[in-house]
Amino acid sequence: MSFLTPLYLIGALGLAIPIILHLLHDRPKNKQVFGSLMFLDKTKPPVDRKRRPTHLLLLLLRCLALLLLVFVFARPFVTVDDPAAAGKRDRQWLTVLLDQSASMQRGDLWVQAKGKVLAALEQLGPGDHFTLYAFDNKADLLVDVISWQGSASEGEVTQLLERLDKPSFGGSNLGQALVFAGEAIQEYEANPDERPLVKRDILVISDLQKGSRLGDVQGYEWPTGIKVSLDQIGEDDQGNCGIEQVAARTLWAATESVPSFRVSNSSNASTDEFEFVAQSSTDDDPLSQKVHVPPGRSRVIEFPTEWLGQSINRLSVRGDVADFDNTFYFAQEKQQSVRIVYIGEDKPDDAEGALFYLRSAFQKTSALNFDVQFMSGKSAAPLPEADLYVVGDAVNAKLSTSLDKAVRAGGTALVIVHSGKQAGNMQQWLDAPNLGIDDVKSKDYGLLQSLKLDHPILSVFRDSRYSDFTNLHFWNYRELQSLPEEGIQVLARFDTGPPAWLLVSRDKGRLMVMTSGWKPADSQLALSTKFIPLLYSVLQPVLESKTQSRQFFVGDQIRISKFNNGNVAGSVSIIPPGNDVAPIKAGDVFLPDKPGLYTVSGSDWSEMFAVNIIPSESRTEPIPMDQFQRLGLPMNDLVATPEQLAVAVATEKTEAHRHEYWQWALAAMLLFVIIETVLAAKGSRSVEPITAS
Amino acid sequence: MEIKSLSLRARAVVEGFMSGLHRSPRTGFSTEFTEYRQYSQGDDVRFLDWKVMARTDREFIKKFEDETNLRCTFMVDFSKSMEFGGDDSGVKKSDYGRTLAASLAWFLLQQRDAVGLATFDRDVREFIPPRYRQDQLKTLLGRLETQPAGQVTDLCQALNKLASLVGKRGMIVLVSDFLTPIADLEKSLNLFTAAGHDVRVVQVLHPRELDFDFEDAAIFEDMESGRSLILDPGLARESYIEKIKAHNAALDDTFSAQGITSFRVSTTEPMELVLLRFLQQQPAKAVVRQRRSTGRTAA
Repeated sequence: MSFLTPLYLIGALGLAIPIILHLLHDRPKNKQVFGSLMFLDKTKPPVDRKRRPTHLLLLLLRCLALLLLVFVFARPFVTVDDPAAAGKRDRQWLTVLLDQSASMQRGDLWVQAKGKVLAALEQLGPGDHFTLYAFDNKADLLVDVISWQGSASEGEVTQLLERLDKPSFGGSNLGQALVFAGEAIQEYEANPDERPLVKRDILVISDLQKGSRLGDVQGYEWPTGIKVSLDQIGEDDQGNCGIEQVAARTLWAATESVPSFRVSNSSNASTDEFEFVAQSSTDDDPLSQKVHVPPGRSRVIEFPTEWLGQSINRLSVRGDVADFDNTFYFAQEKQQSVRIVYIGEDKPDDAEGALFYLRSAFQKTSALNFDVQFMSGKSAAPLPEADLYVVGDAVNAKLSTSLDKAVRAGGTALVIVHSGKQAGNMQQWLDAPNLGIDDVKSKDYGLLQSLKLDHPILSVFRDSRYSDFTNLHFWNYRELQSLPEEGIQVLARFDTGPPAWLLVSRDKGRLMVMTSGWKPADSQLALSTKFIPLLYSVLQPVLESKTQSRQFFVGDQIRISKFNNGNVAGSVSIIPPGNDVAPIKAGDVFLPDKPGLYTVSGSDWSEMFAVNIIPSESRTEPIPMDQFQRLGLPMNDLVATPEQLAVAVATEKTEAHRHEYWQWALAAMLLFVIIETVLAAKGSRSVEPITAS
Repeated sequence: MEIKSLSLRARAVVEGFMSGLHRSPRTGFSTEFTEYRQYSQGDDVRFLDWKVMARTDREFIKKFEDETNLRCTFMVDFSKSMEFGGDDSGVKKSDYGRTLAASLAWFLLQQRDAVGLATFDRDVREFIPPRYRQDQLKTLLGRLETQPAGQVTDLCQALNKLASLVGKRGMIVLVSDFLTPIADLEKSLNLFTAAGHDVRVVQVLHPRELDFDFEDAAIFEDMESGRSLILDPGLARESYIEKIKAHNAALDDTFSAQGITSFRVSTTEPMELVLLRFLQQQPAKAVVRQRRSTGRTAA
């Protein structure tokens, strides 16, 4: 017999208490009057020299009750080696989350991790439930053994691990994996046919690098009774350096922008001198420059001017220990063409007209090539195809109908109401036969109010730094009469009440109406800082459908339809990086699984895109452990060392194979206490009066 | 005790002891000549012995023995502690003390002395001035027969008060167990001795108060204060005996310092022997300070 908490056995010393109390005389029951107690001192409790059998029995019962209480606390148990008996024990569920993210490629972390999985199998007994997930940015279920069959199941897991020869290139999303595992356990237990499991543990075997995402756990109500143990492998004591591209802030600010890259050095790095190397596709000698990045800092490096002409497609940082993330694949952005048609009577070089400012707003950038055309509203020519139509004047019936069709087919049009002549067009486009247009003669100027900054078109101004429209004065504006109530969103109103900017959905397309334009005679809009963001916002859905970044991360969903300026038809194939690699037939979405330069090609076109490891993987310093506690995870142990794990496994085994007897000891103790109470009550009734001799 | 009536008890005890007379402590105008003394200025000229003066031409004052009877006051402790006893080991201290007082009173009245009685606990309860009357004995016995109702003894306070009540010099017989703090007792007794009283003290104790002869542990309750104490007598005996011996020794010292004759009697002692001892006991020398009266007193 062994004891789970043997220290409580010290409590057996408490047996001395009833023995001493029994040796001491009970409080005398006889009373003796005496002349004066002035010469008497209090003496020690009198000793009973005449013990009675009843007292001995009581003493025995009291001692036994005390002894059993000590036993209950010490938790006696007998380890059972009988396999039949072991089969009857309570089952446990061990879920192992194995990190296979890119950062696990460092050193021998992957081998260590697989070894830890095998070590964890030691604590499993017959009938236990074992689940193994490998996670990076997603969690893959590798094995789910409902009833553990000892060596047979172990062999299955070992074979499976052998097949996992190396980790993936994905980013680590530990939070998602934890939630996934927790939900799986909950789902399984929700089944009423399943016997509830006594112990449910999730063991995370990971390098627990700081770049691992834990956001999914935040706000997730962790199921009760499921404990999480963390087994950190590998201690990052030499730091790591990562490289990533600095994204352009805004579309309209990307004019002729020079690609820039951020080199980050981890805070525990042992070095701060690196070499920034660029390699071109022509396999010329690599270009390089020295970079100084102190530990814990990052530095943005722009391409030197002399590098700009080169067709650089690989960048790397040399000088740190871990090289899994040192190469950055770079695909030059392809310029997308956007066609804008202005329908009106303005001259392109007339600074008093709207077209002049429209052409100025849509300047060519490295990513976008704007083609601004213009035509008269009275023209008999057919309406050309365009991504955005801007209507500045009344148009004839033919154009009006064509425009309506184009918009209904999914086009975008921006209509500026200048005069009452446009009433006919507006009646057609807004399906409002009674619509009229009145000029509003303001004494001084009109201001915008009731702006719907939550709307996607105006959301660019949501930041309080940009939401002030009081500097924007409107000298002339119009009021649309008899507007239909349905199907029209008013994005902004003038301070006198009439709508200023309206958005109308026409089947697949959109029509935006401005009751005052940006001509200098109408307003200050063209000259304000709001003008270009507003036009880009109107164009944004078009750009989103057509443009596609060339830079992706492993695990990103790449929409094939966005390549080739949005004109993807027929079969598309993707050639992964590497030599002699067979092309893959692409569907709508492609999920790259390794970094490199991919080529996507259709029947008559071909484009290149780059896939990289997510930059967060480069942050290899360990996660602060208090972060797990803050997230409310019920931790078994923050980080278990191998020794602690071995002890824990041994304890688990012992617990699994033991029979505890504390319940019986407790029952016996209660019985003794009851008998003692009865005897003591009986004894107290039969006490004889003690008389003075 | 076989004879329950105090009156009978006293008579039975005192029979056979009627012998001897007291001499009055006072001298004064009487018939029995004691001595001559030379006249000094201030003496009353009425007491000049004219005949001697005529004969010898010198002035002499004639002194006479005062023939006044003995005035004896019994002071009996009526506190609760005196109620101890009454079991098979001995009579109550109060019974014993009262019987003793009653016996002596009867005896003194028989020889025509004036007898008074004072009972006390923390204060004076009763005071019957010393008188010689036909019904004095009856009065005294009636008072003595009342059951003590007092609680705590405060001997000093009671004695201080009695000192002011007892007028003329006489004999004071103090009957008590003296189980009380005695720090100021000497001062209180001094009030009597300084006034020329012949103080006799009878300390009545129960045998158990002397040897603490209890066996079983019990809750011991103080008869006066009601305080209780759980005691194992075996453990407490030695210390108790030591303390009571020390207390008695201190009492003896106090009495002898004041020239007081004291008796310590146990309630098991035969009373006639105690009476005999009492009567045979000569007053302590310090007490024999018969003041010479320079003349006839107003009494």
